[in-house]
Amino acid sequence: MNQKTKKLFIFLTILSTIYYLRPNTSFAQTFDSASYHIDFGNFNMTSGKKSSTNYTLTDTVGQNAPGRYDTAGYVIKAGFQYLYESGIPLSFEISDTDLNFGSLTPNIGSTVTNTLTISTPTGHGYDILAIANHPLKYLNSTIPDTKCDSGSCSESVSGVWTNNSTFGFGFNANGNGTSSYFTNSTYFRQFADNSSGETAKILMSEPTRVKDHSALITYKINISPIQSAGTYENSINFIAVPKY
Amino acid sequence: MKILLILLPFLNIKTHMPNFNLTLSPAQIEFVLKPGVTIIQAYDVINDSGSSITLNTQVLPWIPNGTNGSVNYNQAINNPNIEFSLNNSNIQLGQPFTLAANSKQQLVLKIKTNSNIPLSDNYYTFFVFQNQNTTNTHNGSTSQANGKIGSHILLTVSDTENPKVTSEIQSFSISPKIKDVFFNSITFKGKIKNNSDFFFKTNGKITINKNDKIIKELELNPDNVLNHHSRDISCANQTSCQINPPLWPGHYKVIINLDSSLNAKPYETSFYVWPISPILLIVLVAGIIFGIRKFKPKTKN
Repeated sequence: MNQKTKKLFIFLTILSTIYYLRPNTSFAQTFDSASYHIDFGNFNMTSGKKSSTNYTLTDTVGQNAPGRYDTAGYVIKAGFQYLYESGIPLSFEISDTDLNFGSLTPNIGSTVTNTLTISTPTGHGYDILAIANHPLKYLNSTIPDTKCDSGSCSESVSGVWTNNSTFGFGFNANGNGTSSYFTNSTYFRQFADNSSGETAKILMSEPTRVKDHSALITYKINISPIQSAGTYENSINFIAVPKY
Repeated sequence: MKILLILLPFLNIKTHMPNFNLTLSPAQIEFVLKPGVTIIQAYDVINDSGSSITLNTQVLPWIPNGTNGSVNYNQAINNPNIEFSLNNSNIQLGQPFTLAANSKQQLVLKIKTNSNIPLSDNYYTFFVFQNQNTTNTHNGSTSQANGKIGSHILLTVSDTENPKVTSEIQSFSISPKIKDVFFNSITFKGKIKNNSDFFFKTNGKITINKNDKIIKELELNPDNVLNHHSRDISCANQTSCQINPPLWPGHYKVIINLDSSLNAKPYETSFYVWPISPILLIVLVAGIIFGIRKFKPKTKN
């Protein structure tokens, strides 16, 4: 081996050593949003939620020190599968928020409907309450809240309303959790009126965990022949809270 | 035009209805805090509807209403020693924000207590609600429905990790007291009262004994009993606490026991099971036989 070849051999050896000792890229996971940047220290081989007809499996493979660790005052749940253990969260749906009665005709009741649907987590029932900002109103004119056929229903008590000569605005709820408040679909009640200082009233309630329980809400207006013409409006708040 | 009208029911055209569909998690948080402590809680709000929505946030105090877990917001007083705020950089408590269709927003609630806060419980709800839209786009009369969803906050302010609680079994009843061996279930109803300043969970069980032998044990649901209030008992995996027939005739002893940390005396009562339906059946059969024998025409020898 001549001097030139020797030098070339040494040069190539040093070059390949440098190449193999170069810093490697580590494949960790990062998450970015407009406000935060989160670095994850490990990257799992596999994780997630798998399900079949009869079983649901949540798993993490590759997590450092997975498991549940208990001590006085603290519980540590290490492992991404714990993200899935909460089960059904609290969710609330109103199927249609735009309740259009169209043109109102005296002595003929106008009705529109929508559906309330609720799910609650383990250990919690729910209450759904309702309150209107004010009675249906157009300029200085209002459509009064119904008093039902007996003349005695209120925001707390429902009554039968089938008579076309009974005027006003009211609602019925028919479905899960409504039987304590409405005997059947002919029973109506007033909405609590916030402008009069009334408080939201329960229209749907169940004591235990539920999944996709729903009730059909029927809103009814029947105006008298002397009711001023106009486009009457109000807004109704539906409030869903879990049982504590 | 006619063809279009005929085909309309068969075309898969979805009419868009504005709706409210929110998920809020967690549904409830419970903390024991020392005075002066600040805590942070993250909530996930998911807009499950197909359209974006303008939301707002609010924290309201409440008091228990009745004995079944309902709440009352109208007579509750705000504790001036607790401050709530959102730690999000772009969203503030009480300020509207927009959540896109089928998207999630994390809201980070900061709960700060003053060092001079009295040692007691405080109950609040963190609300996420739809900003009221009062614009009527129709020619007719309209009502605008708005949704509001809340997550309860149960805060115990105490110098110790496990504040001492005292409780009592306020009432406990069995229905019916005298029962047939076969028909109908036996239902247990009761109330547990919290005599302390701090909430606790109804950990305990109902034990049904016959001849000093345990027939059945019903675990109580760990429901919260709030300070100086009562709560109806409920049983795990049952809509109401009950045992189903058949049961052997005799005297049954029922004991309701709460966890020893709740410092409540056990409550004991009893009920009887009688063989009413078998006796009635025997009487009926005997009556029929007697009737047949008595009214059967005698044969002449």
